[in-house]
Amino acid sequence: MTTTKDHGLSERLFWGLGSVLVVVYALIPVFWIISLSLKRSADLGDGRFISATVSLEHYQAVFSDPQFPAALWNSIGIAGISTLAAVMLGMFAAYAIVRLEFPGRRLILATALAIAMFPPISIIGPLFNMWRVLGLYDTWFGLILTYMTFTLPLAIWILSAFFRSIPWDLEKAARIDGATPLQAFIKVIVPLAAPGVFTAAILVFMFAWNDFVFAISLTSTNDARTVPAAIAFFTGSSRFEQPTGSIAAASVVVTLPIIIVVLLFQRRIVAGLTTGAVKE
Amino acid sequence: MAEIKLSNISKHFAATIAVEEASFTISDGEFFILVGPSGCGKSTLLNMIVGLEQPTTGEISVDGQVVNELDPKDRNMAMVFQSYALYPHMSVRENMAFPLRLAKLSQQEIDKRVTRAAVVLELEDLLNRKPRALSGGQRQRVAMGRAIVREPKAFLLDEPLSNLDAKLRVQMRTEIARLQRRLGTTTVYVTHDQTEAMTLGDRIAVLYKGRLLQIGTPRELYECPANLFVAGFIGSPTMNFLPARCKDSNLELPLGSMRLSETMSQQVELSEGPVIAAFRPEHLRIVGEKNSPCDGVQFEAQVELVEWLGADLFIYFYATTEGFEAMELPENLDITTRDKDRQLLVARIDPATGIGEGGTVNLCMDVRRLLFFDSSTGERFRQDKSNVISIRHQ
Ligand SMILES: Nc1ncnc2c1ncn2[C@@H]1O[C@H](COP(=O)(O)OP(=O)(O)OP(=O)(O)O)[C@@H](O)[C@H]1O
Ligand SMILES: [Mg+2]
Repeated sequence: MTTTKDHGLSERLFWGLGSVLVVVYALIPVFWIISLSLKRSADLGDGRFISATVSLEHYQAVFSDPQFPAALWNSIGIAGISTLAAVMLGMFAAYAIVRLEFPGRRLILATALAIAMFPPISIIGPLFNMWRVLGLYDTWFGLILTYMTFTLPLAIWILSAFFRSIPWDLEKAARIDGATPLQAFIKVIVPLAAPGVFTAAILVFMFAWNDFVFAISLTSTNDARTVPAAIAFFTGSSRFEQPTGSIAAASVVVTLPIIIVVLLFQRRIVAGLTTGAVKE
Repeated sequence: MAEIKLSNISKHFAATIAVEEASFTISDGEFFILVGPSGCGKSTLLNMIVGLEQPTTGEISVDGQVVNELDPKDRNMAMVFQSYALYPHMSVRENMAFPLRLAKLSQQEIDKRVTRAAVVLELEDLLNRKPRALSGGQRQRVAMGRAIVREPKAFLLDEPLSNLDAKLRVQMRTEIARLQRRLGTTTVYVTHDQTEAMTLGDRIAVLYKGRLLQIGTPRELYECPANLFVAGFIGSPTMNFLPARCKDSNLELPLGSMRLSETMSQQVELSEGPVIAAFRPEHLRIVGEKNSPCDGVQFEAQVELVEWLGADLFIYFYATTEGFEAMELPENLDITTRDKDRQLLVARIDPATGIGEGGTVNLCMDVRRLLFFDSSTGERFRQDKSNVISIRHQ
C-alpha cells in the first residue's frame, strides 16, 4: 500500500518538476524582454534580471515614432484578413475533400502539403518581380495573398481532419429536417468543426503575424510594412545607441495580440464537442 | 400522411447491387416494416424514399406524384437514424425546434409544438440539456421528438432501438407503436430484429441480398412463408428444417413417412431438387399417458439441451438424417447444417413436464402444419387444404 502511495508521489513530483522546468525555460526570454523594455536607457547594460527602476520611456519612444503605429495597424489588418480568408477558403476546400466524391481529391491534399513544405525564401525573388509587375508590391493585398497561399494548405489539413470526425448522419438529418446543403453546412457542420476552425485560425494568424521574410521583401513603406519588418528599421534615440530598449518594447507590444488571440480562441477549443450526437 | 409507392426500384453502388427491382406500395397510415439480415439493403431503401440516395432505376411516388427528383428538404418526411444524429451543439429544445425554424414557423407555433411533443415523450424536464447529458433512451426519444414536431407525411425509422438494452427496447417499442397509432402517420420502420417486426408491423417486407422476398402481415409470414429464407428468418426459435425424399406420392422424412395429397405430389414431382420439410417448434408435442394419442408422426427423441424461459420450455434434440441428401439452406439464418447425418431440431413444450438434459421423450409432430420447400429454388410448394393425406407408421 505504502509503496503505491510513494510511487504516486514520486510520479507526481516528476511531472510537476518537469512542467515547471519547461515553463521556466520557455518564459525566461519573455521575461528578459519585458524586463529590458521597462529599463531606462542608461540601465540597459546592467545585466540585472529584475530592473531596479521601472520606466516607460521606450514605450513612449516606440509610439511617438510614426512608423510603429502604422506598422501595428498593417499587422493587425493583414494578419486578420489573411486568417479570415485562409480559414474560410480552407473550410470549403476541406469540406469538399472530405464529403464529396471527385477524382483527384487525394492529389489535392498531397499537393497542398507539398506547397506547405516549400521554403519561402526560395520564391521570394520571383514573387518580388511578379508583385512589382502586377502592382501588388508594398500593398496589403500583396501580403495577404502571399500569407493566404502559404497557410491555406495547413488550414485545409487541420480542417479536413476535423470534418472527418463529424458524423455524416448529422448532415443528412439536417437535410431531411428541411435544410439546404448550405444551411446544413453553416448551422450544423461549422459549429461542430469550431475547434478545428479556431486551431487553424490561431496557426494562420501566428504565421502571418510573425512573418519577417515576406514582410521585409515585399514592402518598402509604411503603406504595408508589418511590425516584424518595421522593428528592423528602428533606430536608437541617438546614433551611438543600440535601439535595444525600443525593440524590446515593440516586441512586447506585438506579442500581446497573439496572447490575447490564443487565450480567446483556446477557450473555444474544447474537446468532445460532438459527444452525444450519435450512439457510441 | 401519404401513400408511398415504389416501382421497380434498383440501386447499384459501383459493383454492389444494394437493392434490386423492388416494387411495393405502402398505404396511407400503415406501419410498414422492412426486415432482413445485415447488408440486405434496408437502409438504402429507406434513404431512397427520403431522398438521400437516388435510385439507379425505377420510380418512387408519394400520393401519386413522382418524387425521384425532389430534394430531401422538400419531401416533408421525418427520419430517425440508426445513430440518433442529434445535433450535439443544440439543447433538446433546439434540436426539436430545428426543423420548425427551417420551415419558418412563428416562435409561438414552435414553442407550442415543441412543448406538446415534449409532453407526449416525457421530455419536459430535459428540454434545456445537451444530447451528451442524456441517456440512450432519452436520446432516442429526442430523435423521435424531432420527427413528430414536424407533422410530416411519413416517418422513416432506421433501427431506432438497436442500441438500447433489452428492457428499454421493449418499452420504447410499445411507445412507438402507441405514438404511431395516435398520429396515424405512414411509417416505414427498418429493423433486423424480428420480434420488433412481428409486434409493430401492419405489414412486413422481408429483404434478402437486395431482393424483396415476401410482403405480408406478420401472421402471413409466420404461417405461410413463401420461401426457405422467410421461413427461417421469421420466428424464434427458428423453424425446424428436415431433408425429405419423395417416391410416388410417398414422402419420407427422417422422423417418419406419409402420403402426400395429389396437388402436392404433382408439384413435388415437377421440381428437380430435393424437398425440404419445415415445421415450427410448437407443432411438436409430448405424447404421454394423460394427453390424447398422437395422430401425426410419433418418434422418440433424446434431449440434448433444455432452454427454460419461464412460460416456455424449449428442448433441442437431434434427428438422424442418414441416407438423406444434405440440405442447402440460405446463408444468414441461425441454423447449422454442418453436422453430417444429423440435424438439430427444437420443440416447444409445457415447462410443467420437467424434462432434463439427457432424458428421452416421445414427441408427436402435427403433420398438417408441415410445409414443403423446393430446395433448388427455395420456394414453398403451394398447398390447398392439407399437404398430407395419411401417415404411414414405421
Ligand atoms: N455508399 C455506399 N457505397 C457502396 N456500397 C454501399 C453504400 N451504401 C451501402 N452499400 C452496400 O449496399 C448494401 C446494402 O447496404 P445497407 O446499408 O442498405 O444495408 P442494411 O440492410 O441497412 O444493413 P444493416 O442492417 O447492417 O444496417 C451493402 O452491401 C453495402 O455494403
Ligand atoms: Mg442499415
